[in-house]
Amino acid sequence: MLLTAIVFLPLVGALLVLLAGGRGDRPEREGAVRATALAVSLVAFAATLLLWWRFDAADPAFQFVENRAWLPQFGISYHLGVDGVSLFLVVLTGFLTPLALLCSWESTHKNVKLFSFFLLALESAMLGVFVSIDLFLFYIFWDAVLIPMYFLIGIWGYERRIYAAVKFILYTMVGSILMLVAIIGLSYAHGAGSGQQTFNLLELYGTALSWRMEKWFFLAFALAFLIKVPLFPFHTWLPDAHVEAPTAGSVILAGVMLKMGTYGLLRFAFPLFPNAAHYFAPYIAVLAVVGIIYGALVAMVQPDMKKLVAYSSVSHLGFVVLGLCSNTIQGVEGAVYQMLNHGVSTGGLFMIVGMLSDRRHTRLIAEYGGLKAVMPRLVACFLLVTLSSIALPGMNGFIGEFLILLGGFRWMAGMTAFAATGVILSAVYMLWMFQRVNYGEVTNDKNRALPDLSGREWALMIPTVAMAIFMGVAPSLFLRTMEPSVVRTVDRTNGVQVTAESVPRVPAPAAGVRR
Amino acid sequence: MSSFAATIPILIVVLSAIAAMMAEAIRHPGERMYIAGFGLIGLVGAAVASCFLWDTDAISFGVVRADNFALFINIILCIIGVLTMLFSNEVVEREGLPAGEYYALTLFAISGMMLMAAATDLLVIFLALEVLSLAVYVLTGLRRASAPGAEAAFKYFLLGAFSSAFFLYGIAFAFLLSNGSTRLDAVAQAIASGPNATVSLLAVGLLAVGFCFKVSAVPFHMWTPDAYEGAPTIVTAFMSTGVKAAAFGAFVRVFLSSFEPMQVQWIPVLSAIAAATMILGAVMGVLQSNIKRMLAYSSIAHAGYLLLGIVAANAAGKSAVLFYLLTYAVANLGALGIVALLGTAEQPHDQLRDFAGLWRTRPALAGLMTVFLLSLGGFPPTAGFIGKWYIFSAAVQEGHYTLAIIGVLSSVVSVFFYLRIVVMMYMTDEGAAPARPPISATAMAGLSLAMLATFYLGVLPTRVIDYALQSIQTIF
Repeated sequence: MLLTAIVFLPLVGALLVLLAGGRGDRPEREGAVRATALAVSLVAFAATLLLWWRFDAADPAFQFVENRAWLPQFGISYHLGVDGVSLFLVVLTGFLTPLALLCSWESTHKNVKLFSFFLLALESAMLGVFVSIDLFLFYIFWDAVLIPMYFLIGIWGYERRIYAAVKFILYTMVGSILMLVAIIGLSYAHGAGSGQQTFNLLELYGTALSWRMEKWFFLAFALAFLIKVPLFPFHTWLPDAHVEAPTAGSVILAGVMLKMGTYGLLRFAFPLFPNAAHYFAPYIAVLAVVGIIYGALVAMVQPDMKKLVAYSSVSHLGFVVLGLCSNTIQGVEGAVYQMLNHGVSTGGLFMIVGMLSDRRHTRLIAEYGGLKAVMPRLVACFLLVTLSSIALPGMNGFIGEFLILLGGFRWMAGMTAFAATGVILSAVYMLWMFQRVNYGEVTNDKNRALPDLSGREWALMIPTVAMAIFMGVAPSLFLRTMEPSVVRTVDRTNGVQVTAESVPRVPAPAAGVRR
Repeated sequence: MSSFAATIPILIVVLSAIAAMMAEAIRHPGERMYIAGFGLIGLVGAAVASCFLWDTDAISFGVVRADNFALFINIILCIIGVLTMLFSNEVVEREGLPAGEYYALTLFAISGMMLMAAATDLLVIFLALEVLSLAVYVLTGLRRASAPGAEAAFKYFLLGAFSSAFFLYGIAFAFLLSNGSTRLDAVAQAIASGPNATVSLLAVGLLAVGFCFKVSAVPFHMWTPDAYEGAPTIVTAFMSTGVKAAAFGAFVRVFLSSFEPMQVQWIPVLSAIAAATMILGAVMGVLQSNIKRMLAYSSIAHAGYLLLGIVAANAAGKSAVLFYLLTYAVANLGALGIVALLGTAEQPHDQLRDFAGLWRTRPALAGLMTVFLLSLGGFPPTAGFIGKWYIFSAAVQEGHYTLAIIGVLSSVVSVFFYLRIVVMMYMTDEGAAPARPPISATAMAGLSLAMLATFYLGVLPTRVIDYALQSIQTIF
């Protein structure tokens, strides 16, 4: 019941928020609405921590499993569970949602009730994505995520918000709807083989498929996930969505939603279609490396801080995809770790950009300069988050990127060497931006009297920075817990027999497949 | 008595129609009377009667068969009717529609629809088709003073009469084929026993034209946008759901029983029609700025998805058609109902820009409209998602991957125009939005029921899918 409680608690909270807000848009009840929303999200975070506390790190299988028949005619069930991979994504979601609510505290005054409602509904849907073991249920949550995000961008975004919101939803839907066809096809293919139609992921692992089917199903799944990541050249929706979204939307979008794509690759696309995964992994990795370098180069020339951070996400998630494609234990472990790091550090960067634009109502780098003298505390936090993002040793990003490169070198050394230049490039664009914004003389008079961090902003920065440092110095705490599950996932993709999880693997030799 | 059993739901609706007519006759001019009440009583009665008849497989006069399939469609039609009645009272008053005629014709149309889904004789299907069509033609032109209304009714009538002729000609060939019978079982036997290829092809082709016209499939859809736009909005809401439910019921019954052996011949044709219908409906919908026209093209696209169920021609396909009709009826009636409820005689409130800022002045209505549009667009956790998933999975089961992919992609295109309405409601400032009339508690109750049904079918569809699966056993 713990997982059901965690997934639906924010949704119940969202309804409570509607009650707390009363009828219509009442500014005088803003305080009550915000307090309710924040309290609910904190309780949800506490629940995810409880989940982590009770999680058995030695067990690679799904834990806290709940399995109830839902549409028994089609073998669809309400089937939830977490393993070492999804556990931390659940915790990350729990961690970032209160911060997202808090960072919009002063910039959002337009119908706060609805804003908090959508943010909490979004949290429910995202948590559902990470804990679903039934493919149908997964797809429902996957699609349900789009609606609240669409409203968050479309109602509370900046000037071109409608364009960005519609582009976001249509772009991601095209990919995911093809995945729906593949999910249906896969369940029928499994039914044809075993006589029992099912959407249970654990039973679908190892379904024997013809090479032609496996190829197309894999491509449909991969397209959905790669658009979500987003991998070059499917990334064009991301800069628009990020730039136009309100700060809270950007934090959630970058912090959690992009991880849904990489999580999907790791959990579904690769282990469900291992032959196709091995066949296509090099091609995807090439795109990932192109994305790493392209994202970094484009980020370098952005005049807008938010756009810069958005393109840095394209670059950083290229690393994650590269690690996943390597399908080595180090690479995948690094990729999962990097998903968490990226959530913390990019979430932090978006919050800081939000704080600056709350003060000055602009995000252009050229408008700033010399902020160190004006707001030393904010700049100190900015520096720490920046260092975390460029993977300085001792910060969280380093562990992730190091492991990814380690795994990548074992797999394809030449390509990984190219990818490694992305580490240097990320230092270039981030530090250059940091330097232009914070160092030198105060050139713009409007910047002279900006207030330093407020109490609310401290509440945003302390957890973020603390988490960045903590994850940098004590990675074993996380890696130890995720390792058994990572090993199992990698084994599945490699076609190694996986035991003790209900279904024996059907060997699926297909002609003309490279191993 | 028992020979009447199958017609009881139909008779109840006919009685309520007559009661509505009488009420109009004895009403003093200007006296207010809740005529919709007769309709509500009759429809609820018909629904209850249908529930009692469930699993009895009653047959009346050898040509009306109240099998579970017909009863399922009866219940869909009763839901459509009840929602229409709940919305009608204030719309009729506000738009100055002739109340007695409106209610009587709507109820007669429903009785025709019920008969159409239950008939097992091609001629009775034709009779029922005419009963419902004539009523709907008149309803379309009910605003006598309105030029677009007259134009719509005239177009609809001419093209409808034309398609009826095709249908009748198809029946004639079926009559020839089975040596003097228009009963579905006789036709089925004749086809199974060694088809006279040319005659049976002519019969199938001409009947398909008739059905495709009624369900507004491409290329027989031309009348749809004009008729839907010109008709009073409440009538649009009613006919876009009711006619479709009845026509698809008969379509499934005829094509998946008598003409099932000829699948090889008609599946390719209907596949092409389905693909064209889905694509054209979705693409043309994007170009519209009038909401009624937009939803007309959306209903064309939905006809395309429903055709996929017939093309799949398996158990999943047939029950998916039933389930989809229900989800579509609830959502489409809800959405068009809101458009109707916001309109007045002077200000139809049917342009896209009329919805600007609805969220600010009428948050509840905007929320309801959003739910219905998301359901039409096929988003979870609403009914539309389960419906689409069910119908596409029936197609995939038979290996129609291309059709399923065309279907899902055109549904993404249609999401674009559903979202245009959402953008208007939530993300655009009110500007010159028209004054919006208040909405009565009855109508709100109807909309809330539709919303509850949308969520119920989206979250807990198991039971209804079970009923749908039970319903298709008598059509083979």
